Amino acid sequence: MPKVTYVSHTGESQSADIENGDSVMRGALDNGVEGIVAECGGGLACATCHCYVDDAWADQAGTPTSQDERDMLEMTASDTRPTSRLSCQIELTDDLDGLVVHLPEAQY
Amino acid sequence: MKFDPTNPTPPKVTRRIGMDQVPDHVPHDLIRQSGIIYGPEFLADPYKFFPAMHDRFPPIFYDVTPFGNAWVLTKHEDALFALRHAEYFSTEDATPFPRNPEDYFNFIPIEFDPPDHRKYRNIVDPYISPKAVLGWEDRIRNLANELIDDFIDQGECDFPEQFGRPLPVLVFLDLMGLPRDMCDTFVEWSVDLLHSNDREVMAATMAKITEYLQGQIAEKEANPDDGLVSKIVHAKIDDRPISAKEKFGFVIFLFIAGLDTVFATLNNIWNYLAENPDKCQEIIDDPDNINAQVEELLRVFSVTFSGRTVKQDIELRGVQMKKGDKVTSILPACNYDPDVFPDPTKVDFHRPKKIILAFTVGVHSCMGAHLARLEVKIALQEWLKRIPRFKAKPGTQVEYKMGGVIGPHELPLVW
Repeated sequence: MPKVTYVSHTGESQSADIENGDSVMRGALDNGVEGIVAECGGGLACATCHCYVDDAWADQAGTPTSQDERDMLEMTASDTRPTSRLSCQIELTDDLDGLVVHLPEAQY
Repeated sequence: MKFDPTNPTPPKVTRRIGMDQVPDHVPHDLIRQSGIIYGPEFLADPYKFFPAMHDRFPPIFYDVTPFGNAWVLTKHEDALFALRHAEYFSTEDATPFPRNPEDYFNFIPIEFDPPDHRKYRNIVDPYISPKAVLGWEDRIRNLANELIDDFIDQGECDFPEQFGRPLPVLVFLDLMGLPRDMCDTFVEWSVDLLHSNDREVMAATMAKITEYLQGQIAEKEANPDDGLVSKIVHAKIDDRPISAKEKFGFVIFLFIAGLDTVFATLNNIWNYLAENPDKCQEIIDDPDNINAQVEELLRVFSVTFSGRTVKQDIELRGVQMKKGDKVTSILPACNYDPDVFPDPTKVDFHRPKKIILAFTVGVHSCMGAHLARLEVKIALQEWLKRIPRFKAKPGTQVEYKMGGVIGPHELPLVW
């Protein structure tokens, strides 16, 4: 199972093993990671699961995968950065084992 | 005393009804009697009424009604705030269905706030996530086509009875693991519960629904299956088995939430499309844009409201609200807020994507939203493939009835 490390906006890290095929958002909810709200539940409709993919993982996971995701990223509460993603749209595979994402100060 | 979800007690609530019961902190100039859900002007055409609210009423006003007085929010921004700040706007006593105070239960998960809320959502999320509902796609498509088979050759149908109602109810029954032959009974119950506005009829209906669902809960306890009712009754909360009160509060809430909303939405959309063949053609000609088409139709035809109870005093947009006040977000009006959706009454399938309030926002955002979107999408695709041109039967007068879910009740269509 790929391991994902979530780094809060104050710098605390929490890691979780997440099933292949689940999203980075789902992994946060299942493991009690604070800082991901995900109020719509992965429907590209709320922009409250915003995260910043660590620069080391930018090539693998740092680019939005749809126009809907790009549109919703314009509605985030915290500033977007070049590797901003909606964590519901990052689906885990073995290639992403070790992924690090940083969480914004606020989701709304 | 710590709240015990396995043995809840009713909250102390203040109900204020009518002009005699307007509290002193409400400024006189913010009092209105808008007639939402019952006034003749509203019922003549709710979807003209909602957008016009931005011109006719202050952005927040105190609505005095025979069903209970409440602050009304019509601005998109204010509804987002209220729905996202449970510390001020609580879901306690915000679900207006009669419950026996001697045998009280909570509607779950809406009446629980984080962190407990997540424990209950985690039980159902694997069934209703965007990915999980795709597993239902073929079945919903087949069902839509079977329904159409029954009437297409007649050149006409009673849309609500023959398509709008059975499609979501049958999907719901399958999802819950309940027998399909309950379809007509469920329809009857949901009509009596949601559209009677008579507390005696509502209470009698609640009793019937309670008896049936308790029987189903017992059945699934003995004979587990793949349905959602079975999943709930065998769930664990933390490390203990889910209690009888929790099982019932969860299952009955899904029943109430799952039956009427997609139905009303489909009726609204087909009523609109019957008068707008150019929009039908646009959907047919641009199949890759279906998700945006669905989202825009959900924006302009949102069907319900979201109530809260003020938990601590707060000032919103300069208006003082006090603990115990009721607040209603008029979601269909918020979705016509011109500050967020320019030219709001125009149905534009190429609008920039924004947060729409059809399913509310916040932790209590509708858990059936992904299923609802999928049902609307499939209904549009399969219907328009086979019946690309249709209109209301000549002489049809579209009527809306009183109730908390808005949609036309009669919609005979011809093609």
